Amino acid sequence: METKMNIAIGLSDILLISPIIALFLFSLIPITIKVLRGNKEQLPSATIVEALIGLALTAGLLIVFGGSGKTAFNGQLVFDGLTQWMGLIAVGAAAGGLILMYENPATRGNQLSELIFLAMNSIVGMLILVSAVDLLIIFIGLELMSLSLYLMIAMSHEQKISKEAAIKYFVLGSFASAIFLYGISFIFGTAGTVNLLDLMENAASLMGTNKLFLFGMAFIVIGFCFKVSIVPFHAWTPDVYQGSPTPLSSFMATAVKTASFAAFLRVIATKPLLGSQNLFDVLQWLAVITMTVGNVAALVQSNVKRTLAYSSISHSGYLLVGLITAGVSQNSAFGAGSVVFYLIAYGLMTTGSFAIISMIEKNENSTVQMENLAGFAKKQPLLAFCLTVFLLSLAGLPPTLGFFGKLYLFSSAVNEGLVWLALWGVINSVLSVYYYLRPIVMMYMREGECDVADDRSYATVVMVVVSALLILVLGLASGPLFQMIEKSLS
Amino acid sequence: MILSGLIFLPIVFAIVMAIWPQRNTTRHVALGFSILEFLLSLTLLQNFDPESAQLQMVEKTMWIERFGISYFLGIDGISLMLIMLTTFLVPIIILAAWNSIEDKRKGFFACLFVLQAAMLGSFLAMDAILFYVFWELSLVPMYFMIGIWGGARRVYATIKFFIYTMSGSVLMLLAIIFLMRLTPEVTGGSISASLIDFYKLQIPFVAGDFFTAQTLLFFAFALAFAIKVPLFPLHTWLPDAHVEAPTPGSVILAGVMLKMGTYCFVRWVIPLFPEATEHYAWIFIAVGVIGIIYGALVAMVQPDVKKLVAYSSVSHMGYIIIGLFVMNSYGVNGALYQMLNHGVSTGALFILIGMIYERTHSREISKYGGLAAALPLFTIAFIIVTLSSIAVPMTNGFVGEFLILLGSFQYSPWMAALSVTGVVLGATYMLWMVKRVFFGPAGEIVQHSLSHKEHALQDLSVREAVVLAPIIILIFWMGIFPNHFMDFSKTSVEHLIQNKMNYTLSWKGDGN
Repeated sequence: METKMNIAIGLSDILLISPIIALFLFSLIPITIKVLRGNKEQLPSATIVEALIGLALTAGLLIVFGGSGKTAFNGQLVFDGLTQWMGLIAVGAAAGGLILMYENPATRGNQLSELIFLAMNSIVGMLILVSAVDLLIIFIGLELMSLSLYLMIAMSHEQKISKEAAIKYFVLGSFASAIFLYGISFIFGTAGTVNLLDLMENAASLMGTNKLFLFGMAFIVIGFCFKVSIVPFHAWTPDVYQGSPTPLSSFMATAVKTASFAAFLRVIATKPLLGSQNLFDVLQWLAVITMTVGNVAALVQSNVKRTLAYSSISHSGYLLVGLITAGVSQNSAFGAGSVVFYLIAYGLMTTGSFAIISMIEKNENSTVQMENLAGFAKKQPLLAFCLTVFLLSLAGLPPTLGFFGKLYLFSSAVNEGLVWLALWGVINSVLSVYYYLRPIVMMYMREGECDVADDRSYATVVMVVVSALLILVLGLASGPLFQMIEKSLS
Repeated sequence: MILSGLIFLPIVFAIVMAIWPQRNTTRHVALGFSILEFLLSLTLLQNFDPESAQLQMVEKTMWIERFGISYFLGIDGISLMLIMLTTFLVPIIILAAWNSIEDKRKGFFACLFVLQAAMLGSFLAMDAILFYVFWELSLVPMYFMIGIWGGARRVYATIKFFIYTMSGSVLMLLAIIFLMRLTPEVTGGSISASLIDFYKLQIPFVAGDFFTAQTLLFFAFALAFAIKVPLFPLHTWLPDAHVEAPTPGSVILAGVMLKMGTYCFVRWVIPLFPEATEHYAWIFIAVGVIGIIYGALVAMVQPDVKKLVAYSSVSHMGYIIIGLFVMNSYGVNGALYQMLNHGVSTGALFILIGMIYERTHSREISKYGGLAAALPLFTIAFIIVTLSSIAVPMTNGFVGEFLILLGSFQYSPWMAALSVTGVVLGATYMLWMVKRVFFGPAGEIVQHSLSHKEHALQDLSVREAVVLAPIIILIFWMGIFPNHFMDFSKTSVEHLIQNKMNYTLSWKGDGN
């Protein structure tokens, strides 16, 4: 078995990972200031501004260095179109989450600096995840991302349910990580490498001939399915999303999911599905079951966050359709592009929805039930309109971005002959309409006193309005955007 | 540019309405806008060449190049009159709802204009995805109209409406994606969503085998449109939506939205899937006949006037479906004409019911009686519209129903015979309702108004007369000079009937 010994780190490696380095350095700023001030919090707005500057810089560096297609550190990290897009989506969604952390009473308290530090390190983990082409590096990225998250959920303002959520997430997440790691060991044992670029050549043939390799791949897929909450590995999602403070729910539902899907996509792009009809069949069924379970369970929820959690499960099912398509297609840029496009749409509409829930929460222990939304349209016509846009986009109604996301996703599936997946997808869209309409009914058609909590600034409002506008505008300009994504992926 | 203008002006109007600062002048502005839109649509008549079966006033630019989706609008004889109907009804609706929409007026007019744009868009779109966007977009404002300004069970009705309609159309979306995947055969390699390219497709059809491309696609489209029409047994959303909707919503729903379904049968189903249409036409004709009789029988026993008219719609739409699926010149011409008639006369019935509801706040037939004495002018208007609805000669309804029956007689005399029972039943339930509401001994409501001077019933006001006058004029005009209207659609319909197996549409500058 050959081992690669020439480990040399050049300037080009440093430049390539400059977004990650910059982000890490910026993550130290708020917490260093706090230490220097004798453990006294600086103004929350200063903390958030520092963090956002860091994220903006990271995004800028990603744009400059991210899409070159070069590999760094001996082919451990790759900076191609997928890295760039997924990284930007994750950073953007995370920025939305950070703004919410700054605004929400559950996270604004005296530990904001620590929270932001952890959040930014979680994003470092995401960036490693989206750029890794080595299963071990993917594992490191996953762990860095998740460990920060466990802490973030546990440390946020006193709320019993969030501690419970953190423990649940930690125990189940560790279990999934163990399975993932176990899978890696199988892969290494049978293929002699854990580098995806090397696996690319013979993954398909090994899948068919070597049972242990199949085991390894199946374990890895299970690990990912847990992270992106595919049924039956989804059970933690509703509890954790509901129990965590809303900004963290938003963070998990969008940024974490994007990064996990990016790594999942890289593994699937080694074409293991072409070698194993069984895994291919199982994944298709998982996609169908995930969409259906997510939507059916969401129908009967009364807590808005829990509804959104189930909706996020069903959206994982839609995304899995794109993933499968990318995994079996000759031209995987179409399937992968539709996944990236859908994640953009999903990130915008989910962050927006959570943002509005976060604005309505009066204190750190308040929960927003469906009926609490009554009368929102009268008090806040603009925000109610924005939430309507988000929900209709989540439901996939034209001319929103969500519709075009689904259109491209299902087109790619039909293109590969997976008509039945697309069929389940559209049937599920109808199912989902019912619960997406319920908040709209509450806001517009019921009398009530629902309003934004008094102590909020305009940052979230601006974010919400911008997201809603993007959903409408990018929806109409979805053609060029999709082409850009697809071109950078091929 | 006229077509784009027709679609996007209402969008602009909607935005203006949403931010209009003065509450008092909102409805005046809305009325002005809608009249402007109507005047713009009149220029269509001037520029339209009725001798040509081509698409006219075409606008085509690439929208989403990757998938060959274009911004492609065009008009032909089949869509022209429906456009006119849409733009004609909106100012009338606004004037009719002058006092009945008290709450959140700005939002209401914004919804109305978005709805108008979406409806016009789905009549004009010649690209499948563009069409789908407009088609689905039309659900949202209607959803709000029923849900916010509707009656007691409005939320139930509006969600039912939304989910019913959407469940049909998602299958259509899948069918569209599938058709797009087939297009490289006819375009020489590139994918396209243009309807014109879809028409060129020869989709394989195997008679009797359900799981073949054309049959499945046919049913995917037909289901979407059948729910919208709505065909028996998919009609159950309609009575709920009609009863709960505010008057303007009911008028738009009956007048235009249902026509989106029947129009799309002509535009999409028949020319795209000619073999499947011919092979399965009997299902639709049978369901149409059942709808006619069932709708009429159910209408007869309704205690609520609005529900009665809603079920009469189910019955009338059955005629239109029969006319389309017999696929001969009489049938299709009659069906197209009947779409206009139904829009005018059922729209008018809902307006009239709205007027009486504003006065009495009741729609229960049993509470009325002897209204003719109290409201003579109103009674005359109501009777004229009723006669049009039951297709008495000299009114518009007669022409359409007669042609449809003629067409269905050619197809099968038995079917025609069965459909004719609908005419008789229609006359029965409408006239019986008129008798119970307007004649006979004075009912609870009339007695109340006689005994309480301050609650005396007012006859038609000037505004209401202005609302009804154009409709009544149109009823007679369309009844006595049908050619004035049919001339516009004749050529296009002939073209469709004669080439239904290899239907193509061209337009100036198309080159073929």
